[in-house]
Amino acid sequence: MIAGAPLALRADTKPILIAAGFVLVILAVGTAYTLATQGAATLLSPAYLIQQLQTGAFLGLVAAGMMLVILIGHIDLSVAWTLAAAAMTATAVGGPLALPAGLAVGVAVGLLNGIGVAYLRVPSMIFTLGVNAVLRGLMVAQTGGFAPQTAATDAMRFLGAERIAGMPVAVLVWAAVSLLTAGLLSRTAFGKALYGMGNSEAAAYLSGIRTRRVTILAFVLCSVLASLAGVMLAGYSTKAYQGMGDAYVLPAIAAVVIGGTHILGGRGRYLGTVVGVILIVLLNSVLSIMQMPEAGRQVIYGGVIIAMLLVYGRGAPTRS
Amino acid sequence: MIQTDSRAPFLTLTGISKRYGGVRALDGVTFACGRGSIHAVLGENGAGKSTLIKIVSGVVQPDEGVMRLDGREVAFPNPAAANRAGVVCVFQELSLMPDLTVADNILAADPPRRFGLIDGRAQRRRAEELLASIGCADVDPRLRVRDLPLSRRQMVEIAKALAKKPRLLILDEATSALTAADVERVYAMLRRLKADGVAILYISHRMHEIDALADTLSVFRNGRHIETFAKGARSPDRIVELMIGREITAQYPPKPRRSRPKPRLEVRDLSWGERLRGLSFSVGSGEIVGLGGLDGQGQKEVLLALFGVLKGVGGTVTVDGRPHRPGSPAEAKDGGLALIPEDRKTEGLMLPMSIADNLVAASLKPLSKGFVIDRAKERAAVADAVRRLQIKIGNADDAVSTLSGGNQQKVVIAKWLMTGPGLILLNDPTRGIDVGTKQEIYRLLRDLADGGAAILFYSTDYDELIGCCDRVSVMYDGRIVRELEGDAITERAIVASALNMGNRVPHHG
Repeated sequence: MIAGAPLALRADTKPILIAAGFVLVILAVGTAYTLATQGAATLLSPAYLIQQLQTGAFLGLVAAGMMLVILIGHIDLSVAWTLAAAAMTATAVGGPLALPAGLAVGVAVGLLNGIGVAYLRVPSMIFTLGVNAVLRGLMVAQTGGFAPQTAATDAMRFLGAERIAGMPVAVLVWAAVSLLTAGLLSRTAFGKALYGMGNSEAAAYLSGIRTRRVTILAFVLCSVLASLAGVMLAGYSTKAYQGMGDAYVLPAIAAVVIGGTHILGGRGRYLGTVVGVILIVLLNSVLSIMQMPEAGRQVIYGGVIIAMLLVYGRGAPTRS
Repeated sequence: MIQTDSRAPFLTLTGISKRYGGVRALDGVTFACGRGSIHAVLGENGAGKSTLIKIVSGVVQPDEGVMRLDGREVAFPNPAAANRAGVVCVFQELSLMPDLTVADNILAADPPRRFGLIDGRAQRRRAEELLASIGCADVDPRLRVRDLPLSRRQMVEIAKALAKKPRLLILDEATSALTAADVERVYAMLRRLKADGVAILYISHRMHEIDALADTLSVFRNGRHIETFAKGARSPDRIVELMIGREITAQYPPKPRRSRPKPRLEVRDLSWGERLRGLSFSVGSGEIVGLGGLDGQGQKEVLLALFGVLKGVGGTVTVDGRPHRPGSPAEAKDGGLALIPEDRKTEGLMLPMSIADNLVAASLKPLSKGFVIDRAKERAAVADAVRRLQIKIGNADDAVSTLSGGNQQKVVIAKWLMTGPGLILLNDPTRGIDVGTKQEIYRLLRDLADGGAAILFYSTDYDELIGCCDRVSVMYDGRIVRELEGDAITERAIVASALNMGNRVPHHG
């Protein structure tokens, strides 16, 4: 897993190992619970694990895009309604154009966010929050505030809900996107530029990196992945609905950060984001299996995120 | 109350050393400063003056050595602790908060309180008193600092220091932004403090200021305290010799003797707001042209304007006969330019990233095949750069922050050489790096020039300009006031032109 550095653990690998360890702890605790109450290790069955990956695929797509934006020191809070708007647009358009129409929503929102942040210099937290509100307003105006009556197309259903050889297509899409993202980050000029800008935008700019272009591209990719998640989620649940993206914003950011990406940018590996997504999905699932009341689930969920960040903060001192 | 011996020094340092990475900034310094004395500290850039001040004022902690204040051993973990002990520093970089009022700023550390809340009226009154004491009664304490001109801000900075009732006041180039009238006011204030028994450490590059003000002088060189003497005990020539030291001679590569080459970079009437007021100059292939003058006369802006960082630049620039109007550093790079920026830690390097990533940061496109970076090519380029500049590294995957200052600067330079630039702009590239690396950089610049590059070189170190440059353009207030060539490049000529005293030549255009 760690090539070439057997002794000195790379600083950005440690959080991934910790998160992976915690995933095992969650599985162990959950299994102990199911063994005690049901007498069966349900959590270790392939059916359960595949179902978790299916659930995680949507979050994984959103988190992959979010990571690109976080790496350059920004954030995209508009993913919630980008996801919903893409899903609603896709189901409304229908037919063979449903999927391209949904993704086009992502491209448009990403361009808007990117231009607002790169050219108008509005802090991304404010700008994307504003864009999120505008999108919600537009969608409510479009649908009258009710769940759209239109249904997902067959192509959307295929991507979101069907399986190939027992493996959900959504998981395969997530895997493909993951491979592309990992390659993008480690093997392309764009990827290096993201890390460079996150560490020092001034140095990247003075190195002749076209920082505005990189910023816009990062936001576009983030929005496109959110809209892909939206289209697939609509396929999974057969239709789009109001607020379908709300449950994805904070978990996506949390997954990226739990995976070891620095919230202020510049550091982090894509593998960590995948582990972070799995951790969050499993934690949610195990807490609900243990019939933890919603209030307690929220407290534990938030506590785990804070605790993990504290562990990382101590583990990776920075020097300047 | 015990009467302390007034002749005993107020501040004594014994064997103080400080290292930054591989660079020894201070090396076993033993130094004393007495009450009621204005003590000037002299030295070239990188001599250790700033580190000395930072240690005394608690900004950094010494690696070894003992500091005593009033005979008692002290260690300041932070500037606030130093302030409490009566050690107050006026830094060169302004430390004011621009959106707060003058009164808020002056009394930021310890505002007057009533019932635990800040007493605004008392704060204003106190600020008025302090400003009046340095002859700045005209500054309204209710104004926001942002709305004051630079020279007034510097006076506010000084008032802020006085608010802390210093027993040891340190001024680090504190007069560089002041108008002549304000400088006189500061002198009067310093003499008053001296009469009151305050110890004053005064750092300045301006000899006439030191002549007018100081009673004791200390010379630092390469992190060592060379000598302390009373004013007038050493001739100015001797002082310069002490500052430069002997090892400096012959450290520069020989300059070629030849006629002036055809210009590669031609600049006509370059202007930018108030900072650049119509400069014209040229740099030829194979030439190293220096930009001299006091700090902040527009030299940095010239480099940034040529590199496409500044917006709204006027005038015409041609490179190799073609018009050059870059809108961004990316376009400047495509035009064959390179800029070694001023601050390598924030502008030159991505510190937490690896040496390899930093080296290739400006060459990502040529190292890519389609979208994907060619790993073999990247490795070869990194190895080549490390070899060419003899950068001392363990592993190219280590963070660049683990390198010494000199090697970090080599990484910045190597990053740009990788792009094969025809015109190289350097902004004070040797600041804060060790003598050995400096010499390597001088050698490298000459080699690059011999290879056909045109080099424009700004340095705050006059000695460097004299040793390296074929020609030196001295700037004052956004203009080139004098151009020196060949043997006419002397410290005397540069200093005289930098202060804009006599020998004025009408600037071009």
